[in-house]
Amino acid sequence: MAVTRYTKMAYDNADDLVMGSAKHPVTYGFGLKLGAGYVVPEINYAPRPGTEKDPERLRKEYVDYITKDVLDRAITVGFPNVQLETEWVSQMNQAKLSAPVVAGQEEMCEKYHEEYGLNCGTRQTIPDQREADHGLRPGMDSAHAYPEKFFECCDIACENGADNLSVESVGGKEFADYAVTNGDIVAFLFGVGYLGSIDMTYIWEQMVDICKKNHTTPGGDTNCSGANVSMFMAGGMLDQDVQRTFSAVTRAISAARTLCAWECGALGPDKDCGYEGPIVKAIAGKPTTQEGKNCQCAHCDLQGNLIAQCCDLWSNESVEYHPEFGGTSVQCWFGSIGYESALMNTAIQLKQEKVLRDLYMYADRYRGPEAYILAYDHAFEIGQVIADNGNDLYLRSKAAGLKAAEIMLKGYESKELGLTTKQLETLQDIHKKLSALPDDTDKFVEWAIKEYKDTVPNFNMKNYDL
Amino acid sequence: MLSKEGADFTKVLKRYDIEQQVSLTPEEMAEKMLPTDEVFKKVAEEVLHMKFKTVGPTVMEALKVRDPLDIINNGLVAGMECVAKLYAEHVYFLPEIMMAAKTMEIGIAIAEKQVPGGRESKGTVIMHAAEGDPHDIGKNIAAVMVRSSGYNVIDMGRDVPIVDFIAKVEETKPLFASGTALMTTTMSAFPAEAKILQEKGINIPLMGCGGAVNREYANSYDLGIYSEKAPQTPLIAEKIRQGYDWKRIREEWDSIVGGQ
Repeated sequence: MAVTRYTKMAYDNADDLVMGSAKHPVTYGFGLKLGAGYVVPEINYAPRPGTEKDPERLRKEYVDYITKDVLDRAITVGFPNVQLETEWVSQMNQAKLSAPVVAGQEEMCEKYHEEYGLNCGTRQTIPDQREADHGLRPGMDSAHAYPEKFFECCDIACENGADNLSVESVGGKEFADYAVTNGDIVAFLFGVGYLGSIDMTYIWEQMVDICKKNHTTPGGDTNCSGANVSMFMAGGMLDQDVQRTFSAVTRAISAARTLCAWECGALGPDKDCGYEGPIVKAIAGKPTTQEGKNCQCAHCDLQGNLIAQCCDLWSNESVEYHPEFGGTSVQCWFGSIGYESALMNTAIQLKQEKVLRDLYMYADRYRGPEAYILAYDHAFEIGQVIADNGNDLYLRSKAAGLKAAEIMLKGYESKELGLTTKQLETLQDIHKKLSALPDDTDKFVEWAIKEYKDTVPNFNMKNYDL
Repeated sequence: MLSKEGADFTKVLKRYDIEQQVSLTPEEMAEKMLPTDEVFKKVAEEVLHMKFKTVGPTVMEALKVRDPLDIINNGLVAGMECVAKLYAEHVYFLPEIMMAAKTMEIGIAIAEKQVPGGRESKGTVIMHAAEGDPHDIGKNIAAVMVRSSGYNVIDMGRDVPIVDFIAKVEETKPLFASGTALMTTTMSAFPAEAKILQEKGINIPLMGCGGAVNREYANSYDLGIYSEKAPQTPLIAEKIRQGYDWKRIREEWDSIVGGQ
């Protein structure tokens, strides 16, 4: 599959970005249409610890309990659509554990679709266990063969009926870890924006081919291992291990990386935990899954309302299966995202989606730097500079980071965005450092390799064809 | 876009981070904590200001007039203690901790070469991320903090097989061991490890940490103790060094980590 970089925006202006509609809708599963005029709740779950020790217990947990509970609750409450996301536990890299789960969920979805007309389907998110120190490419990891297992998982998922194949890939993670803990934005740019994009392109070219062979829809990816680490370490109002202005810039850079899956032919929707979704949707026009206020079972972020502004699927991130007063945990959290999706769909039907979008957006616009740059008008601006530099992985990542920094500085100067002294100092430092970088990619890469080869633990150029 | 004219967003949200920020500079806060002896103060300031390029020459200069162990304890470690205090007060943040620790370690490496018989650490600590778990950023941060507090840290990395962990404990006889897990399906390594250790008669505390682990889980198996955040680990380590066993750590956990 050829890689086609995005050099133009799918949308002409930010105001066209709305919830439930994408320029390029996707159809799969049993009657599911994503980005086709309505928002679909996407429920994600984790099995109880211990169930992964036995294939039959794991199948029963995922299929007979979790899937059935969710589909039953959809009928009980009257939700017309649901997507199930199974994020594979690491042990599912063995076919004996994963194949019965994938096939069983598919069979259960078909049954409910035929019996009740419920539109449903599954996203199978395979584990990326590759480790930079052992090697990211097949043939390099003699200890675990994780790169080989990665592609085997793609085969298992697709051959057993996955409707959507997705992953949270880890390319560039060794740099992200270093950059976040040491406050080094240039390391993040090189590791995630450049190296991570090379890795994502490498894996997704093959993932798209595997999907095509099996009539599975290639969904998308996320920079969970980088920008989310940064965001969660930045934490809440008083948890400031990492400055939130730093975290916001890492988010913008991560968008340039997340885009790579779609440039390789993945169709969307992308992954819920990719908070960079509004940026990549603005560029590519493919449906995006987001998570926020209804994922408190897993994450507490500072843009719980805002991030719903232009989503096509609305997720709970993940919840461990267990009983609650209102049913099982998956039923309770499915109720939470299902009702929120119903509100969004009501707004769409009453032609008030732009009003609801703006209400969501304003509710968090000033809550923190990351929310500020993800507000759809700013997300569009960041998308624009990525597309303007679309053919160069380094330049577009740098442009995204710089644009995010400029948006925040402008917001601060106009007194629209409040910043602590430390957040401002960090932001000014980031702006200075990114502005000083060369415009010549080869020159930058040559410099970065020298700068980081002995500094960033586990950096191996062979992982990235360098 | 809807007009926001007339909207009062203080009715929507409150920026506690801006309201609560500390206005003192690191220099102002550290002034009262730095050593009074000019030689030690100069060494401590290298750590405080994260000058990893100049800490070497400064320590070399100090070695001409002061005992190497004193330079470590009253200069380098004292500087790091200032950094820890500034971190607790939200004046310094994680990147400063990492760079200050790196500076201190450079200085210690130079000074301890001149300590006859080598420098004695507070004890050995084994750290690892659970078998099957590739996430180790939290463990890495905790390792820096524990090492900075004077312990010899054996960092086994991530995705560490249970058998390797047990073998390392038997070989090095640590003060305690810690494990991190970000996945609920990997944290079950900790009770499995604890069981084997007990069968072998090794009753050291086994700290369970990481995003997937909570206090209830870490306290659900014998030997298990909990650390919620990296800065809590040195506080707990100090109590273990004083002779607390895993049961007493559990009983007094709230007061041990109080204020964190």
